[in-house]
Amino acid sequence: MFQLIPSDTHFDFLGKRRVAAAASLALILLGVAAIPIRGIRTGIDFAGGTEVQLAFPAGSGVDEARLREAVGATGLEGADVIRFGGGDSSEFLVRFAGEVPATAAAPVDLEKPQVQEDDGELTPEERQTRMAALENGLEERLGPLEVERVEFVGPRVGAELRRDGLLALVFSWAVILAYVGFRFSIRYGPGAVVALVHDVLVTTAVWILLGREFDLQVLAALLTIIGFSVNDTIVIFDRVRENLSLRTKRELEEVVNRSINETLSRTLLTSGTVFLSCLALVMLGGPVIRPFALAMTIGVLAGTYSTVYIAAPVMIWLEERFGGAVPASGPAAARNTKGPRPAKV
Amino acid sequence: MTRRWAMIATLLGVLLFGWVFAANWFSPEERKAHWWLPDAGMRLGLDLRGGIHMVIAPDLAVATDHELAHLRTTLETRLADEKLATKSLAVAKGGIDLELADPAEAPALRELLAEDFDVLRGEEPAEGSFRLTLTPTWQREVQERAMLQALEVIRRRVDDPATGIQESVVTRQGNSRILVQIPGVSVVPDIFKQTGFLEFKIVREAEGTENAEQLLRARYPEGLPEGTEVQFEKDRKTGKVLSAYLVPDAPDITGDFLEDARVQFDSRRSEWQVAFTWNADGGRVFGELTGKNVGKPLAVILDGQVYSAPIVRDRISRQGVITGRFSSQEAADLAVILRAGALPIPIVLEEERTIGPALGADSISKGLRASLLAALMVVGFMLVYYRTSGAYAGIALVANLLLLMGLLSLFEGTLTLPGIAGLALTIGMSVDANVLIFERIREELRAGKAVRAAIATGFDKVFWTIVDANVTTLLTALVLYNYGTGPIKGFAVTLAVGLIVNVFCALVITRQLYALWPGDRPVKQLSI
Repeated sequence: MFQLIPSDTHFDFLGKRRVAAAASLALILLGVAAIPIRGIRTGIDFAGGTEVQLAFPAGSGVDEARLREAVGATGLEGADVIRFGGGDSSEFLVRFAGEVPATAAAPVDLEKPQVQEDDGELTPEERQTRMAALENGLEERLGPLEVERVEFVGPRVGAELRRDGLLALVFSWAVILAYVGFRFSIRYGPGAVVALVHDVLVTTAVWILLGREFDLQVLAALLTIIGFSVNDTIVIFDRVRENLSLRTKRELEEVVNRSINETLSRTLLTSGTVFLSCLALVMLGGPVIRPFALAMTIGVLAGTYSTVYIAAPVMIWLEERFGGAVPASGPAAARNTKGPRPAKV
Repeated sequence: MTRRWAMIATLLGVLLFGWVFAANWFSPEERKAHWWLPDAGMRLGLDLRGGIHMVIAPDLAVATDHELAHLRTTLETRLADEKLATKSLAVAKGGIDLELADPAEAPALRELLAEDFDVLRGEEPAEGSFRLTLTPTWQREVQERAMLQALEVIRRRVDDPATGIQESVVTRQGNSRILVQIPGVSVVPDIFKQTGFLEFKIVREAEGTENAEQLLRARYPEGLPEGTEVQFEKDRKTGKVLSAYLVPDAPDITGDFLEDARVQFDSRRSEWQVAFTWNADGGRVFGELTGKNVGKPLAVILDGQVYSAPIVRDRISRQGVITGRFSSQEAADLAVILRAGALPIPIVLEEERTIGPALGADSISKGLRASLLAALMVVGFMLVYYRTSGAYAGIALVANLLLLMGLLSLFEGTLTLPGIAGLALTIGMSVDANVLIFERIREELRAGKAVRAAIATGFDKVFWTIVDANVTTLLTALVLYNYGTGPIKGFAVTLAVGLIVNVFCALVITRQLYALWPGDRPVKQLSI
């Protein structure tokens, strides 16, 4: 039998719960503190705006500075120019808030009013004309290029995606709270969900510290993390329940600690295989999918940690406070050791 | 014996789904041609095959304004019938402002409104002045009707065979938006350009020079006659004014009465034109109009712009042509637009994502390579760590992927780039159930149980753990499906189907493999 993790560990995980909580809090606060410096960067999905991915033929010698200048010369001010995929790739992202401004349209369109009165709302036709003008303008200055992708998100849609995204996170937590409450005990649910909130906060904090951007993909990663991270928690809760029904006259904390140790190899291996998958995506998945993969990777790490150090302590605290389990020791011990009802039906 | 049959059934099932999946490498035509290939196949999302994803919103405020304008006209007639004089009556800021000439007549007006205009809600900011707005119910009804009309018109335009866009999607998204997906195109087709509001007006006066407007207006120093306006014919490329026409502001007949429109080539004048046919009602109105106005020019106006103004030579009822220096493409698009009918209200673009085909192909190959690496690493790890049992997990993983892809093909699911990421994740997650089972079996073995008993207990004890763990992930996948659009939805689907298949593979296939070996044999050691 090949084992990475010995089968009879006796780590005192719960003894370090205060240190762990402090560490998590510190990381999250660091993320919050970084907001004024790094800012919360949002992609066009949430902020609204236009993003154009351009590819120049290899060896065209176009770099960020030249492209930025050419974009400025077409009348597009305040546009972001980013080399896409890193290194000396000949692909670039040009991104700007709102719409392609009317000034970018070189052949002036007489039929259309030149001043856009409303907040960047255009008919499909108007957009198309302006995009074409931008493309022609760049081609004139920098030679042939390929427009690989154009994404435009209107301000209203952006605001809605932002709002709905937050709602989706909250809704996921609520659903898991209800499910764990239903399958285990009403006092187990909060522990699982506090750990999930922790995972989202930690991933977000790291994301801010890395100076990366929030978009739909990252949100999808956060939601997947919520779903995946609770798995380990369920494995441990399951074991706690099983142990509670076996071992009588033990303190809850001891039982939980023992359960965490017993399931440690499982927790680490299941996270490990998903971690490997995420790693493969980060390495080979290509630049489009990389933010998703990276956020998932961070989330998987945070989720594994929080299962042990966040979910279990919260669960113990609730159990000890609101009944069910053993309150240290006392006359009620005999009744309490029964614990929550077993899962097996 | 039954166990053997179950095993054979599982094997056949996996092979069958694998076959359905493999059929994706044949083109849809080939799949249809051969009976031994399934017709169904996976679709590629727009982010992989290239195309346009658009979310457009009809401007519903305009629908309300149209309704108000209509109500204002009706109200005007009724007020005249009742001999109620008004100082002013106008549509403004989403309502109608009305001021009575004699405030004492307010009760009569209130009565009229209550009786004949129950769709209006009235406020009286001052004595004798009324502010009328649509009731919320009617407002919703009006907007809903406009929405459905817009959806129908856009669908007809996109689906028109002449447009030639196959496999495109036009659906309603939420309350007030329309989602249009057009694969394989990277430029918004012209058919979205025009509202398609066709009007015919008898021309009162015309000028054919660049400063035509000034010339026309100069004839009426006191201002244009009541009920008329100036409209222009312009060069569509340069926007230069070619002619100006003095026409009535209300159309004599609109495109609502059109039955059909076709492109045709007039070889005599060697130009493209659009021939149209009126329906019965339209024919009657048009016949009367042309009959009364022989010798006068008739302006053909599309979306407020004059296309041509031919002289009416004779009474025409059912048929006619529209000319206007069209290219063949312009004429074809115009015919599509006229056939589909006018958009009742203007549309606004809220979201557009256009992906070129090259980018998609690149994404697929990268995504698949990453999935392959994930599979190799995960299976490699399982083999080293769990030996024979690890191999079982590997077999279950392959079965898992075949079933997942087969199911997606069978239900014609859409594979998107995030969906491929979901695939790689499924690979990592799918062995998790196996890890739980194996670790439990190891634990039972350590506790001194015999091999067969340890396997049985192992599966038994983790059953609910595996179900619980997968249900929670499934629940978040459902939330994600509900929230996301396009590509993200594809991810949620892959993830959700992957999880369900996963539970089956871990609990059924791995167990069957154990039944195969060691099975009932009295082995002392289990390779785990």
